[in-house]
Amino acid sequence: MKLEKEGMGWIILRNLLILMGLFLILFPLYLVVINSFKTLEEAGKDFFALPSGLNLHNFKELFQNNNYWVFAKNSLIISAVSVGLILVLVPSVSYAIARNFNGKYYKGVYYYLLMGLFIPSQVIMLPVTKLMTNLNMLNRQGLILLYAAYSLTQGVFLFVNYIRGLPFEIEESAYMDGCNVFQTYIRIVIPLVKPMLATLLIMDLLWIWNDFMLPLLILNRSKDIWTLPLFQYNFKTEYSFNYTMAFTAYLMSMLPMLIVYCMGQKHIIKGLTAGSVKG
Amino acid sequence: MDTKWKKKGSGKWIYFGFTLIPVALYSFFYVYSVINGVRYSFTDWDGMSTTFHIVGFKNYISLFKNPNFWGSLKTTVCYSILLVAGVVTLSLALSLSLNSLKKFRTFTKSVFFVPAMIGGITIALIWDQLFYRVVPLVGQALGIGWLSQSLLMTGKTALPAVVFVHIWQAVALPTVIFVAGLQQIPDEQYESAKMDGATPFQRFRFVTFPYLVPTLTVNLVLMIKQGFTSFDFPFALTGGGPVRSTEVIGILIYNDAFKNMRFSMANAEACVLFLVVAVFSLTQLKLTSKGGVHE
Repeated sequence: MKLEKEGMGWIILRNLLILMGLFLILFPLYLVVINSFKTLEEAGKDFFALPSGLNLHNFKELFQNNNYWVFAKNSLIISAVSVGLILVLVPSVSYAIARNFNGKYYKGVYYYLLMGLFIPSQVIMLPVTKLMTNLNMLNRQGLILLYAAYSLTQGVFLFVNYIRGLPFEIEESAYMDGCNVFQTYIRIVIPLVKPMLATLLIMDLLWIWNDFMLPLLILNRSKDIWTLPLFQYNFKTEYSFNYTMAFTAYLMSMLPMLIVYCMGQKHIIKGLTAGSVKG
Repeated sequence: MDTKWKKKGSGKWIYFGFTLIPVALYSFFYVYSVINGVRYSFTDWDGMSTTFHIVGFKNYISLFKNPNFWGSLKTTVCYSILLVAGVVTLSLALSLSLNSLKKFRTFTKSVFFVPAMIGGITIALIWDQLFYRVVPLVGQALGIGWLSQSLLMTGKTALPAVVFVHIWQAVALPTVIFVAGLQQIPDEQYESAKMDGATPFQRFRFVTFPYLVPTLTVNLVLMIKQGFTSFDFPFALTGGGPVRSTEVIGILIYNDAFKNMRFSMANAEACVLFLVVAVFSLTQLKLTSKGGVHE
């Protein structure tokens, strides 16, 4: 109702702004999609026209000669294992902290883990490369351990506050029934923190899938362990002339996340909003 | 409240066990690296040789005498200011528009959020192509000289162009955060403001704005931090060039460490960045833990 008397000027301005926003977002993506179905010649003739037909040449090339599936598999393995590890570690340590917040040790652990909030990634960028080189861990396993370690700060910050806000009575009745801490955690606490688990899953999946800096430092040396972001970047230098092919690579790199987004956009938007406001 | 079951047995040890692996991982891969980074900044190590010496504050002193470092710091500040101004203005305008939209609201919001799903490197590489193939055409059509060539090639336009691409992605999240803030404003407040004869501007100033302040501060801090630690966009779009015009501090550190073989110097640069970011993060923590922010 509140808009009925709002002026025409505002409505025109508003619609114009929204249309411009939609155009600025969708038009680049449209160009990526149409040009990935074109040959170089065709794109050279008219960059903006729809492709003449469903030309899958670039896709075939990408899948067969450019190891797309190897990179996609690397991205998938690294993201899935890291996020799995994070989803086990973050809630359990947060639970221990939240339910013992009066204890010196747990409070200490909390602030110790929170220190990461103050440290920009550039500070560890160089020493961690040296560390992983010395450990002979410039590989996928090494990267997964790094993600698990670096996700703790924000994850614990979110979870400890959330768990401390949960009523203690339900857990208490579980203890009365003879459950120990571990059973109570699995049966009572995990179901209660499900919304936060979803937030953590979305935030960290998106971060790890799209991350560029750490794979650049840890995985760049051997081609067979590249992730998709690394592949795209190196593709630019290798095939700078073949830009319709590059567009195909970009399209196929963002497609997985866009499909995930289409399936659960409401949860994703909610989760990321909650995560960033509190973290 | 927690004495009852502790006496019963193993509870204490289970809690303790929950903390072991995370603390070990974090200490080894994170804290140890941070300490090493600070340590390296006081040495003359080039990152390769087997021996190095402690040189005290020598790196820091020559850093503060180095015009390239100050130039990079200035670039970073410019970058952050442009980013913050662009993102906050746009996300505020877009969220107010979105919030008053009656039709297609959910659809529009979903589309506006799409850039947040795409990796920075993909976005940078797409825009790299567009700056080369599309933007100059727009410039020629409009007869604007500076827009008719690739913006990334000239020193003056490269930085705004990189920030533009960063904004393209970064605006998504603050927009939905603002929308969430706007939706908390009770309709009655608008009604009563109208009854009192408030103009649309007055309604914005005295009803909407106070509700937006907490979200605004969160968005500001988020963006300042993103600006100061930006890496992907300048790295993929310009690599710091042309002539250092987009060499933000993240790029300077990377180039000094891996290209110019000034490893310990790069660590000193990182430590300076650390101090700057710590100040902003402290502010962030204060703001968010005060509970002034609602979802």
